[in-house]
Amino acid sequence: MEEKGHEPFSFQSQTWERYHNNFSGMVVAPTGFGKTFSVFLGVVIDYLNHPNKYKKGLKLIWISPLRSLAKDLAKAMNDVVVEIGLDWAVEVRNGDTPTKDRRRQERLMPDVLLTTPETLHLLFSQKKNSRWFKNVNCIAVDEWHELLGSKRGVLTEIAIARIRNLSPKLRIWGISATIGNLEEAKDVLIPYEVKIAMIRAKEKKKIKITSLLPDQVEELSWAGHLGKQMSSKIIPIIYENTTTLIFTNTRNQSELWYQIIIDEEPDLIGQIAIHHGSIDKVQRNWIEDAISQGLLKAVVCTSSLDLGVDFKPVDCVIQIGSAKGIARFMQRAGRSGHSPFETSKMYAVPTHSLQLIEVAAVKEAVKQNEIEARQPYVLTYDILVQFLVTLAVGEGFKPEETYEFVKQIHAFHFLSKEEFDWCIHFITQGGNTLKSYEEFHKVVLDDDGFYRIKSRRIAMNHRMNIGVIVSEVMLFVKFFSGGYIGMIEEYFISKLKKGDAFVLGGKVVEIQQIKDMTVLVKRSKKKKAITPSWLGGRLPLTSGLTYFLRLKLSNALTSNNREKELKFLHPLLKRQEENSHIPRHDEFLIEMIETKEGFHLFAYPFEGRLVHEIMASLIAYRISQIKKLTFTIAMNDYGFELLSDQEIPLTEENMNAIFSKENLIKDVTASINASEMASRKFRDIAVVAGLVIQTQPGKRKTNKSLQSSSGLIFRVLNDYEPSNLLLKQAYNEVFDYELEKVRLQAAFQRISNSKIILKKARNFTPLSFPLKVDSLRGTMSNEDLSKRIERIQKQALK
Amino acid sequence: MMQNISIISKTIPCNDEVLELTNQRVIYWKTQKSLILSDLHIGKSAHFQKSGIPIPKNVLTTDLERLKQLIQYFNVENLIIVGDLFHAGYNSDLDEFKTWLTQFSNLKIQLIKGNHDRFSNAIYDQFKIEVFKKDYFLNCLKFVHDFEEPSKDFFTISGHTHPGVFIKGKGRQRIKLPCFQVTKNQLILPAFSLFTGLNTRSAPKNCKNYCFTDDGIFEL
Repeated sequence: MEEKGHEPFSFQSQTWERYHNNFSGMVVAPTGFGKTFSVFLGVVIDYLNHPNKYKKGLKLIWISPLRSLAKDLAKAMNDVVVEIGLDWAVEVRNGDTPTKDRRRQERLMPDVLLTTPETLHLLFSQKKNSRWFKNVNCIAVDEWHELLGSKRGVLTEIAIARIRNLSPKLRIWGISATIGNLEEAKDVLIPYEVKIAMIRAKEKKKIKITSLLPDQVEELSWAGHLGKQMSSKIIPIIYENTTTLIFTNTRNQSELWYQIIIDEEPDLIGQIAIHHGSIDKVQRNWIEDAISQGLLKAVVCTSSLDLGVDFKPVDCVIQIGSAKGIARFMQRAGRSGHSPFETSKMYAVPTHSLQLIEVAAVKEAVKQNEIEARQPYVLTYDILVQFLVTLAVGEGFKPEETYEFVKQIHAFHFLSKEEFDWCIHFITQGGNTLKSYEEFHKVVLDDDGFYRIKSRRIAMNHRMNIGVIVSEVMLFVKFFSGGYIGMIEEYFISKLKKGDAFVLGGKVVEIQQIKDMTVLVKRSKKKKAITPSWLGGRLPLTSGLTYFLRLKLSNALTSNNREKELKFLHPLLKRQEENSHIPRHDEFLIEMIETKEGFHLFAYPFEGRLVHEIMASLIAYRISQIKKLTFTIAMNDYGFELLSDQEIPLTEENMNAIFSKENLIKDVTASINASEMASRKFRDIAVVAGLVIQTQPGKRKTNKSLQSSSGLIFRVLNDYEPSNLLLKQAYNEVFDYELEKVRLQAAFQRISNSKIILKKARNFTPLSFPLKVDSLRGTMSNEDLSKRIERIQKQALK
Repeated sequence: MMQNISIISKTIPCNDEVLELTNQRVIYWKTQKSLILSDLHIGKSAHFQKSGIPIPKNVLTTDLERLKQLIQYFNVENLIIVGDLFHAGYNSDLDEFKTWLTQFSNLKIQLIKGNHDRFSNAIYDQFKIEVFKKDYFLNCLKFVHDFEEPSKDFFTISGHTHPGVFIKGKGRQRIKLPCFQVTKNQLILPAFSLFTGLNTRSAPKNCKNYCFTDDGIFEL
């Protein structure tokens, strides 16, 4: 490095020094500043100084969340190794590695192995696998912040624990971007009694955020219909820059915006591409290569390009709609201007007017460097069950020894011996009533005290099922004449008939035939085609962002405001203040509006969609205690709506009681269908724990007689094995993630400390309008929708 | 032991015959002293267990107990099963079924083979089950496993699809219930076993759905 004329950053040399002194630790630095080399060179330097401490075989295991990163990283590491003249082999191993290479690695492991958490667990399921890990000196986890808040984080924690168990002198290093709970992140990664360093880079990435404003502000905020207007502002930006990434939030939106842009500027055809998780992998790789080589002017994409290899030519990023979180916003911004001292350029395009306040909020958050925390998963019994079976497939395991090292893992600190025994019981005997499981022999106890799997078929099934990424049932989409286009959810395709046209990857195609998890299509000339809606992707605003949002709104009308976004919104905000009220940071606004449709109650907690969904049913429940009413519920990230055909008995006298924090969890439990929600959560758990066998897209359903839905198994277990820990986990996950219990409680705490403002408005207000539009969307097709919105707007502005 | 189930029925005319649909997933055919049912999938829980998926056997036990109560309640002498009696290979669930059968001395079972029924006839002989490979006719009724083309001369009764239906309520509420699907000249039975999924996507044209719960049966 230094020979090349690079001066190492101080955090890099600090890492080298710490590593040399036998520390484990975590490096926190913005992307593009050479985080990788901080840890990698640390190992190399240590090796050069103490070659005798390193044995033959695996020395460094490098875990990264993405396969696509590994290849380029390996190349960069190899260059260094060659330059120094080291005889190290640096190799990649993941799902894409050819069998031939895998077998060779199994005979002789390289010195450095770049891999994923799943692949490591797959290695654990091989015969005599511990010999590979006996002399590992270091395990490094790249992009730890990405893994932390997911079940893949738990897979990583387990992998570290097992390797540390085999190689006690192991040093553990994490590499992370800035998040809100760095100390916790470090403790989760390294919960062991070793020397631990936390190294933070002083260097900061410069981000320039500009919001694109429409020509004029509508007095009622359009919701999601600014497309055409804004595309004329996007085109010049695409031409001004070398390569622009255009981020949308859903695959559906990316298809729509791709169409909008090429309609506005047909000259861009051929220079603009579309990239999302459902596009065929080969095509995605081609697009990624084309970006790197600077062949494309723009790419419309989803979170599919949030992470991954650095694209040198990208010098501009456009975010369409809300990024939903501060960290995500910064991550995306950071995709442009990648080298250390360049500035990242980000344009924010609102899809409705109120989103401009959000942009102002993000700017403030970035300025204050307030980024969300990532909550680690704990007590994930499904993953523990999967891991125990993995061990049983591999070398077998002894329960006492396994319990000892599992308990050290952060996720299982609070795992009781009873719960661990239950997991063993679950994989050996199935359930509590032995007589009910006579034919169940998954894992058996051998005479030598080891638990093992004897059936080759069960072992095979398990290997195919390792991992925690559970996808919807997906079908491949393929041209009749050959050539893949991408993937689509079975859920979506099941609603279509032969001959129906839909859009995928910017192409309009129509269905010819569905066969063996593959949809055969041909090009269609039809003008009308359906844009697939993929499930999921409706992330709520994070609490970090909503905090700043409330703050910005609160100060929106103070006269000395100089922020461009708020100034622009002034007419809209003024209308809100005149017809109703703008909630200050210590206020909570409720609006009651009567229209032809019925009686509306709008409330604005600004806590994100999920929390609002729960709050809405809770408030509906509490009101119906006073008077029996049926409600239609709608919500968005700002608030929720209750609509009834009769007058809603909410008054200044009872509003504090109805929005009270007392009996919160009890009332929530009464107001929602918890078992229905748990059944949905159980889907992933059932797959991870091996109760449901997944079918790969494009493959024939092989285990036809073993197909069953997780909902069915949930019901059966609920009836016959209510003590099953996996059921308990499903309910816990509902409360922790679906209901966001902590956030819900905090929200009610905040409301109880606020002044509740109850306003009666004569017509829809700027705050309520987007909510109204969102709820219309659920029931009507798109064309009717715009007409209907127009009508409501006219009525309101009369 | 299981509690007594509540049996509620609804009569429908089918050509010249009268059939009674019940909320317990069977049809009672009074004149023939028969129950018509489909998709028992006996052996499914043990088959899952053998493959390392712990599904408790109680699933089968409750299914059989329910069938026993139905046989006694209607006092029938025949079971007409329109396919998928057994789920997969021979396993301990089938032994339980065999033992269960011994309590009925005069019960006659007729099976129209389904896609899951892949045993040789010798096995069915052991259970004293009369097997029909494709279809079975009685009076104006035709019994098959999976429905193909409507026949003009017969009223077709089939199973196989595990029909279910969504009931949509206000405020985006949805409930999924099993159902009988009935048209002018055909009827599709719900799966008898509770360890089966529901298929809400396939329905014949112009069909009425009779869906049911533990204590009621409704026409949609």
